Amino acid sequence: MRHRTAAAAALSAAFAISLCGVAAWAQDDAPGPSGKKVQYSPYPEKNFPNRVYFGDTHLHTTYSTDAGMVGNTLGPDEAYRFAKGETVTSSTGLKARLARPLDFLVVADHAENLGLAPLLMAKDPGLMATDFGKALGAKVDAGDLAGAWEVWSKAKSGGKDPLAGHEDIYRTAWSRLTESAEKHNQPGQFTAFIGYEWTSAYNRCNLHRNIVFRGGKQKADTIIPFSSFDSADPEDLWKWMATYEQKTGEKLLAIPHNGNLSNGLMFDDVTLTTKKPFDRDYAERRARWEPLYETTQMKGDGETHPALSPNDEFADFETWDKGQLGPAPKTPDMIPKEYTREALKRGLAYEAKLGVNPWKFGLVGSSDSHTSLATTTEDNFFGKVSAVEPSADPIRFDEVIGGIGGKPEVYQYARQTSASGLAAVWSRENTREALWDAMARKEVYATTGTRLVVRVFGGFDFTEADLDRSNFAEEGYKRGVPMGGDLPSEAQSAKGGRGPSFLIRALRDPDGANLDRVQVVKGWLEASGKTQEKVYDVAWSGGRKPGRDGKLPPVGNTVNVQEATYTNAIGAPALQACWKDPSFDPKQRAFYYVRVLEIPTPRWTTYDAKIFGVKLPTDVPSSIQERAYTTPIWYTPGQ
Amino acid sequence: MRAVGKLVREPLVQFLVLGGLLFAYFEWRSGGSGPGSTRISITPGLVEHLASGFAKTWQRPPTDAELKGLIDEHVREEIATREATAMGLDRDDTIIRRRLRQKMEFLVEDAVDQAPPSDAELQQWMEKHADALRAEPQVALRQVYLSTERRGASARIEAEKLLTSLRSAGPDARIDALGDASMLPRELPLGPLSEVTRAFGTEFAARIDALEPGQWSGPVESPYGLHLVLVPGRIEPAPLALADVRPLVERELLAERRRTQLQALYERLLERYTVTIEMPKEEVKTQASAAPAEGGAR
Repeated sequence: MRHRTAAAAALSAAFAISLCGVAAWAQDDAPGPSGKKVQYSPYPEKNFPNRVYFGDTHLHTTYSTDAGMVGNTLGPDEAYRFAKGETVTSSTGLKARLARPLDFLVVADHAENLGLAPLLMAKDPGLMATDFGKALGAKVDAGDLAGAWEVWSKAKSGGKDPLAGHEDIYRTAWSRLTESAEKHNQPGQFTAFIGYEWTSAYNRCNLHRNIVFRGGKQKADTIIPFSSFDSADPEDLWKWMATYEQKTGEKLLAIPHNGNLSNGLMFDDVTLTTKKPFDRDYAERRARWEPLYETTQMKGDGETHPALSPNDEFADFETWDKGQLGPAPKTPDMIPKEYTREALKRGLAYEAKLGVNPWKFGLVGSSDSHTSLATTTEDNFFGKVSAVEPSADPIRFDEVIGGIGGKPEVYQYARQTSASGLAAVWSRENTREALWDAMARKEVYATTGTRLVVRVFGGFDFTEADLDRSNFAEEGYKRGVPMGGDLPSEAQSAKGGRGPSFLIRALRDPDGANLDRVQVVKGWLEASGKTQEKVYDVAWSGGRKPGRDGKLPPVGNTVNVQEATYTNAIGAPALQACWKDPSFDPKQRAFYYVRVLEIPTPRWTTYDAKIFGVKLPTDVPSSIQERAYTTPIWYTPGQ
Repeated sequence: MRAVGKLVREPLVQFLVLGGLLFAYFEWRSGGSGPGSTRISITPGLVEHLASGFAKTWQRPPTDAELKGLIDEHVREEIATREATAMGLDRDDTIIRRRLRQKMEFLVEDAVDQAPPSDAELQQWMEKHADALRAEPQVALRQVYLSTERRGASARIEAEKLLTSLRSAGPDARIDALGDASMLPRELPLGPLSEVTRAFGTEFAARIDALEPGQWSGPVESPYGLHLVLVPGRIEPAPLALADVRPLVERELLAERRRTQLQALYERLLERYTVTIEMPKEEVKTQASAAPAEGGAR
């Protein structure tokens, strides 16, 4: 569907009208602003989310043992200062700074042996009183960091906490983290969330969840984080979260990530430890505690996989599908239980069966950086861990990050890590409460690291004309639902079976690349119980026409690989569409989410090759198309 | 007598006597339950401490059996600590050496921290680093957007026309229905210039920064097209005042001082030592410096 011609006509009309309006101002021309109180902002009287905030919900500092024990010396203070735009010296001595500050940050250090490295380096008396602490200290003092790492790995490999019974050590580390968050939280300017990562690695499969606290230090300090030493089963985590909420009156949410490294366990069709088929109660609890899913990050993009979406030419993006964190290889039967789009589809089937959709989640991206530096852009990528921070050293590309301990076929190398991603949150203000609430209602989207802006409203009476309204958002909320919402099925039947339409607007990152296209991804459940998906191109740049196969030709590529540059000579700075589902069936459950693609830009490895004069790796692309995925809008037939 | 005198000069005897004195001292200091003592008393306060630690993890108090386990564990740890100390296991221990060095360095750092920099010193440091410390100007913005994408070559002509109308309508002109609709904010309240950067990009913000407030002007180009812009208000950053940046200046100045003082200390102390360094043979050196390759994140 193309709208530019229609839009241009509508605009010319609007322009003519607005010029007529000019004459009218002259009549009731008010005196200048001097001497009177002028309200510049039209927003105070409006109460809907009017702004998108960008942040990272998944950042590790030296308090994470797998960061602090391998060279990360920066703590949460540095992490927050960096996120706020200050210059920070990285663990390897490089000056680091973000081109633009982030709006919020969750320092999500691993709960397991939280703060071990900084306490070890400071020779914390509590830690040094333990045999475990002494063994580690001896290795560190001998300069044998790998040995210290091994001591820790071995100690925790049995699933037992080597610091069990030493709650004081945990309490020290946790209270330092919460204190740092409290100190850096500046309502209205920068939100520092309290959070941590529950690191369940069930048989070395990634089932990790990041826990985000809505409240502050006072309540958070009444606990120490529930870790995978306590239990590796998410059902126990949810139980613990429920207890916390009950006792404190505060709120928590959990964000799972990296289903692509879970070897089929992230979106399995049975419960984790009891291996029982889902029941309504399980579905309710999962949906309740896990309203979001981190769909893109450094260790691969998790939107979908070429094997699951063979007709989607953009499905193979920064794919990690060799195995898990540990040595076990991936088999094809695992793939359907690992990716976002497939889980959203299967969620519809569960809802039909159980009455509740366990996977009705919102989409965010985040970094999972272990350097304390939330870098998510290709031209400023500090890598997964401190050891692979920018340098000409081959370790930067060749370090093994995934499939550790396995055969070379399952390795994922540092060069394959993706400079991704960000969580974008639609909110009225930048506070813990407002941002957390927006996350809970899923009015969020994921980007692969850039700051493109996308907004979508779904409803049953939107038309083209609504796209160019100056009060676009106000109308959107009044007559429809935003990303994360449910299309009202009653409204649908009231409209005599008319299908839904979607108002979509996208703006490129102001300091980034133009847009290639806007797409709607629809997933639905047939009466037979079979799930389906289809990707629609709904707006695009230039005068391209879909080919005979219905596919829009590629936007082109301006990337100069040698120089690591691109130009905005192709693509569009803004795209919009009013899209109506051409094959809507009111009896079918469905979801719709928006995917926005940028024009190709150099991948971080290409910048590296240019800056350090190193050879471009051959097993990763030299340019990529950054993108955004919105949370879906769901449709459920009325009873 | 002579034999006694000789005995007194024996290091072992000295050690034993000293040890005995220390023992007596600790006995006295700690009321009989110090490092050399054979008495371990578990006080109600300690039991409460152990139980509350447990409760923090499990969100319930320990059962009697669990509490007994906690106490047993504590007793074991206490015994191990005392016996190990008595056996001298703490001597020549790299951890303890490291800890001593750290304490030594803490003394210097404490000394730095205890002599807070004077206002004059802070002022001087601030002035030296003024560029990095200065705040941004605050600007408000009103803008009317014309999409070059939609309007093509006529966008500029239309912009010029609209500018004339806007100028005659003045700074308070109603702009809700003007230009092309987009997600770009039509108005930004008075706020740091970075808010303009955030919404419109770095180059556009630089142009806004250079504008004379109070008058419609443009068209100014952004990544999205053309904009007719008005800066209704602007507040220059206040001249750098120590009161505003004091915590930051203090933090940075003290950090700098600790580094230089520590360096000075080691240089001073080094003068009292003769250090001879013999490097190992080449192959040994290579081996020793082989960095551990394991660094992957999990």
